[in-house]
Amino acid sequence: MYPKSFEYLRAKSVDQALQYLKENEGSRVIAGGQSLVPMLKSRLYQPTVLVDINFIPELREVKLESNGDLRIGAMVTHYDVIENSIIRENAPILSSTAENIADVQIRNRGTIGGSICEADPSADYLPTLMALDARVVLKTSESTREVKVEDFIQGPFETVVEDGEMLVEVMVPSNKSNYRVEKYARRKADFAIASVAAIVSLSKDGKVTDARVATGAQQDKPHRLREIETALKGKPSKSVDLESIIGPATEELEPLDDLHGGPEYRKYVLRGMLSRILGDLLSGKEAR
Amino acid sequence: MVTVNLKINGKQYSEETEPRMLLVHFIRDVLKLKGTHIGCDTGHCGACTILWDGKPVKSCQILAVQAEGANIMTVEGLEPEEGKLSIEQESFRENFAQQCGYCTPGFLMMTRYLIRNNEEMTREEIREKLHGNYCMCTGYQQIVDAVQDAQRKYFATKK
Repeated sequence: MYPKSFEYLRAKSVDQALQYLKENEGSRVIAGGQSLVPMLKSRLYQPTVLVDINFIPELREVKLESNGDLRIGAMVTHYDVIENSIIRENAPILSSTAENIADVQIRNRGTIGGSICEADPSADYLPTLMALDARVVLKTSESTREVKVEDFIQGPFETVVEDGEMLVEVMVPSNKSNYRVEKYARRKADFAIASVAAIVSLSKDGKVTDARVATGAQQDKPHRLREIETALKGKPSKSVDLESIIGPATEELEPLDDLHGGPEYRKYVLRGMLSRILGDLLSGKEAR
Repeated sequence: MVTVNLKINGKQYSEETEPRMLLVHFIRDVLKLKGTHIGCDTGHCGACTILWDGKPVKSCQILAVQAEGANIMTVEGLEPEEGKLSIEQESFRENFAQQCGYCTPGFLMMTRYLIRNNEEMTREEIREKLHGNYCMCTGYQQIVDAVQDAQRKYFATKK
């Protein structure tokens, strides 16, 4: 299968990429291409101009800021998210999330920035980044803005990126608390039928000091389950009745209906995952 | 047309290509290296797996123009010398790890990478790491045997 013809522009710097995007209406950025190339082949997307950002070394950097934020370049691959010691040490949930993505080959080529911009409702990173309160840095040739990942994703395959704008970095606050990140799929490399990212901190006397729970593959976009978070915070972990929280908190969800699973099935799987994962975290079981 | 300069199996190539040409088509149809196969053409099956700077990637998911300056190895590059099989090829042959053989180039490239970049792998780990490669004939048992065997042979050369 061949994509439709397009003009190819190879950017050597962020400034050059932004210039290309500004000058060419209908242009699109290609990052790792692990989702975009199949879309080009099936002609779901037919951009007139592709701006390749694979040849920009600064987009592959990972830095730890003095305030504890991780600054992760858009072109950092899933392989690097797994292997990079700065990420693994300061946001281990993110490294664990990358381990769930697709397969070895695709993890070597696919990037965190590309995955976020694709905004697939079942994407692996999004629930985790939402639970971490991560932000993305968007640039045009004139301006820079930061947007929370939660606000960045508008719907299925829809983001707030405007013409001439490009995601250059992901800002991830350090978080070393106990966590679980899981996805359920028929085959491991498939997109999730349900996914959960959860971070729970307990005080010495067993009270829940922080709880963040996010889910993907349910609705048109991944989201935080704030009703659950609120119900857990401040409670002694031993006296939490999870079933009475999870049931009502997921009642209003209207999960996706596609070839991977129907709405009732997705909700059923999600409830089971939440109950097991939160049960583990509340009893203080360390991540595997 | 765009000129692509890249190295494959140690040999430097410089060829013109349309930007929309996939790397796998470039390797097969322009450079005439027919060992790399096209299976599903959707990024699932892994028959087109090549090593790019030593790491496996799927060449049907990459544009040829993106391979500018790349150092690539295809299945033709496995043979240590003309007519002599590599450890991976030898292990696949001895363990009957292929039937129709269509997926084999992809599995061989994965094997080359996995046995060199992992401690001794269990059968479960091998299966997990081969999720991106499909074989419709063997049921995978003999492939896992071959990978284990190849890793043992590789470690033996290191002693």
